[in-house]
Amino acid sequence: MSADHSEELAALVGRRSGAPQVAPDAVNLAMIRHWVEAMGDENPVYLSEEAATDAGFGGIVAPPTMLQAWIMRGLKASLEAESRRAEPETTAGSDNDRMMALLDDEGRTSVVATNCDQHYVRPLRLGERLVTTSTIEDITAEKKTGLGEGRFVTTRIDFVSLPDLGEHASVSEEVVAAGEPVATMRFRILKYRPGTAKGAEVRDGDGGPARPRRPRPALTQDNAFFFEGTRAGKLLIQRCVSCHTLRHPPLPACAVCGSLDWDTVQASGRGELYSFVVVHYPKVPSFDYPLPIGLVALEEGTRLVADLAIDPAELRIGMPVEAELVSFDDELTLPVFHGLPAERDEGG
Amino acid sequence: MSQQRLSFDDVHVGDQAPEKVHKLTRTDLVRYAGASGDFNPMHHDEVLATAAGQPSVFGHGMFSMGFLGSAITDYVGAGNLTHYKVRFSRQTWPNEVLTTKITVAGKRSEDGHDLVDLDVRLVNAQGEEKVIGEATAAVPSAS
Repeated sequence: MSADHSEELAALVGRRSGAPQVAPDAVNLAMIRHWVEAMGDENPVYLSEEAATDAGFGGIVAPPTMLQAWIMRGLKASLEAESRRAEPETTAGSDNDRMMALLDDEGRTSVVATNCDQHYVRPLRLGERLVTTSTIEDITAEKKTGLGEGRFVTTRIDFVSLPDLGEHASVSEEVVAAGEPVATMRFRILKYRPGTAKGAEVRDGDGGPARPRRPRPALTQDNAFFFEGTRAGKLLIQRCVSCHTLRHPPLPACAVCGSLDWDTVQASGRGELYSFVVVHYPKVPSFDYPLPIGLVALEEGTRLVADLAIDPAELRIGMPVEAELVSFDDELTLPVFHGLPAERDEGG
Repeated sequence: MSQQRLSFDDVHVGDQAPEKVHKLTRTDLVRYAGASGDFNPMHHDEVLATAAGQPSVFGHGMFSMGFLGSAITDYVGAGNLTHYKVRFSRQTWPNEVLTTKITVAGKRSEDGHDLVDLDVRLVNAQGEEKVIGEATAAVPSAS
């Protein structure tokens, strides 16, 4: 059973998501041009000084629904925030980071945007510099939804315009309070537990909902042989033609001698359990849980990750295992390892 | 002249705005990712999206909101929109033909402003609703 952080989450409601965010750039024509082209929006007041003046705006204005684009932090900062959240002992993060970590810990690892609500005080003009403060406005109790069991989280983002901001990359709450409010946006997301959708229980036999297919492997010219092999009933392992080193998962070049030439050998499917994990969540609908996954040392001399058809209580490092090739659907056949008796009867 | 001069007196409940129709392409998604700064790979990386169990890449919710929004501002005038909210009800997919549906749902006067409330939707060719919402515009009275 997953953790329940209702109390800690309730304590975060009403708190700032983090420090005020300064728009990286002032409202500008280049970003507006890219945005209206992407939208197919041909309203001339967004690009033509003359049309905007004729329409009574006194100059070019930004499209109202472009609001969010002014404060997007960009790919680099997003990736940095993501890796910060992935740290197991995050102490320096914002309240938003803490909220997301608590929801993840409840098993609610999937996210989808559900609602967006924007209020505009006035149109934005070229040259304005925006700053936002974000507040965690609401975190609901668990709801059952079409996607899964989850909590809805509403964040309110208040936009102010600060004319004399200069080059400042960060500002205090006091400075923001002196700004002119120009817009408010509420963004609602659902953080949910994958595999818990209403009516998505996986059942076999007639009448039950069809079991979702397993995720597809991303096929490349280097790894396609493996999946073609399993479909044909063979467990194939890549081998360097120059130095005969085996390697798995498939790669373009040999890590030992660097050769790009390779062929394959058919593995017996026998080996021993080198290591394993038992996955409890997040639950993906096409798998059964608890889900034991093993790293198997094949007797040919390389290692392979695969499902284990072994009771988690029986799992032991070093236990002998043997592969069975299991067809999950028309396209996908994968090795699944069973346990073997510790001392096999080699006699006749 | 595309600057709409919608007047409060001439607009009636049940009126419909001109429809905007667009066939969504993968190029749209890439262009929008760059324009908006939203680089969630589910919207541009087909390999990652299919590995995650999606049939293909799919559209940004905020693209749907913005596209429908541009039809709203074409109708009410860019500076007149005061409130716009949506629910993202379904994903959008490449090659879907998306159509805006905007209907006048009400008229009211509040704090000296004449307000027009709109029922707004974005639907595909099969009539499936992708985005459902409401918008309010403060429009001038005919003088």
